[in-house]
Amino acid sequence: MAIIRLYMTISLDGYVTGPRDDADNPMGIDGFRLFNWLDRRHDPGPSGQVFDEAMSTRAIVAGRRTYELAGHWQGDHHDGVPIFILTHDVPDDPPPGSVRYVTDVRECAAQARAVAGDGDVMVHGAGAAQALLRAGELDELELHVVPVLLGQGRRLFDNLPAEHVELELVRRLSTPDTEDLARRVTHLRYRVVRP
Amino acid sequence: MGKVVLYMSMSVDGFIAGPDDGKDHGLGVNGERLHDWLGAGGVDPGSYRPADGPSVTVFDEVMDTGAVITGRRTFEFAGGWAGDHHDGVPIFVLTHAEPDEPAPGHARYVTDGIESCVAQARAAAGGRDILLHGAAIAQECLRAGLLDEMELQLMPVLLGQGRRLFEDMPPDHIELELLRALDGPGAQHLRYRVRTAG
Repeated sequence: MAIIRLYMTISLDGYVTGPRDDADNPMGIDGFRLFNWLDRRHDPGPSGQVFDEAMSTRAIVAGRRTYELAGHWQGDHHDGVPIFILTHDVPDDPPPGSVRYVTDVRECAAQARAVAGDGDVMVHGAGAAQALLRAGELDELELHVVPVLLGQGRRLFDNLPAEHVELELVRRLSTPDTEDLARRVTHLRYRVVRP
Repeated sequence: MGKVVLYMSMSVDGFIAGPDDGKDHGLGVNGERLHDWLGAGGVDPGSYRPADGPSVTVFDEVMDTGAVITGRRTFEFAGGWAGDHHDGVPIFVLTHAEPDEPAPGHARYVTDGIESCVAQARAAAGGRDILLHGAAIAQECLRAGLLDEMELQLMPVLLGQGRRLFEDMPPDHIELELLRALDGPGAQHLRYRVRTAG
């Protein structure tokens, strides 16, 4: 069965954006600092490997906020794979491209797993990650931990219940010391352990 | 000269204690999970030494520090380590108001601020590193530009709620440099240098 895996870049202090993120400045103050590692996405090495894996997923799950801030990916995140957008209010206009709207998180997970077949599902965005975690539908986390403290911003892990969720490290990939400082990152992959 | 090094065990979601931490329950609900990388423990600090692997390296570095800096809350939640964190090295407890009771054992209260606290600890550490422990004091040290390195034991668990290591910080972007990453057992040991401006 398809694995539902979160792919998210975070600062060491746990932020996915800097402070004061909005439509005009979707990453908030200094938030684009988090994406420097993507300069190496087409190069050999850990960051290229992780990026290739993300781009090999067969379905996307994202929240409405991420979807809007990303300009709907013009209806195609990569290779035309189905994009499931979790939303409370389904827009009146028909969704663009390969996008479909889903209001129930478990239904969303089931549909994404079904279309991904023996591939994997990529989850993107803090809201979708939290919803899937709360519903027990998130299988793995691939966290790109950037060596920076942003101080404030939007947290990846927030508004979760006081429930202890065990993880198991699957893999750690760190960029080599020869990489310039701004592009260094540690990719941590965890499996969510079900009780 | 010795470095000021923060040592903290943190969940993947950033907590250093579970919810409802207090004097009788220093690590909060489920927070003991964060110390699973340590040995079983007992009266003697050495009894917390992990059995094997990279965790031993980190533990031995902690035990080799020449002074401890902590905040009042962490100190009290830890029962003041009965006055001796390890090997009788001096423990500097930063507090706003000196308690009526004298500090136990090798501990002393510092009331004239973080700069003085760090300066006193450096003088006492005799060139060895200084162990910094506690979230509030870590934040204070970071804000004052006095933190040299962080050694985080990243524990594979989500606690959901609790006390965060990084909270109430100014929106200042602080660059770090990963110095070392050691895997396991049961934790990722990540060591970062804090890069100061200039």
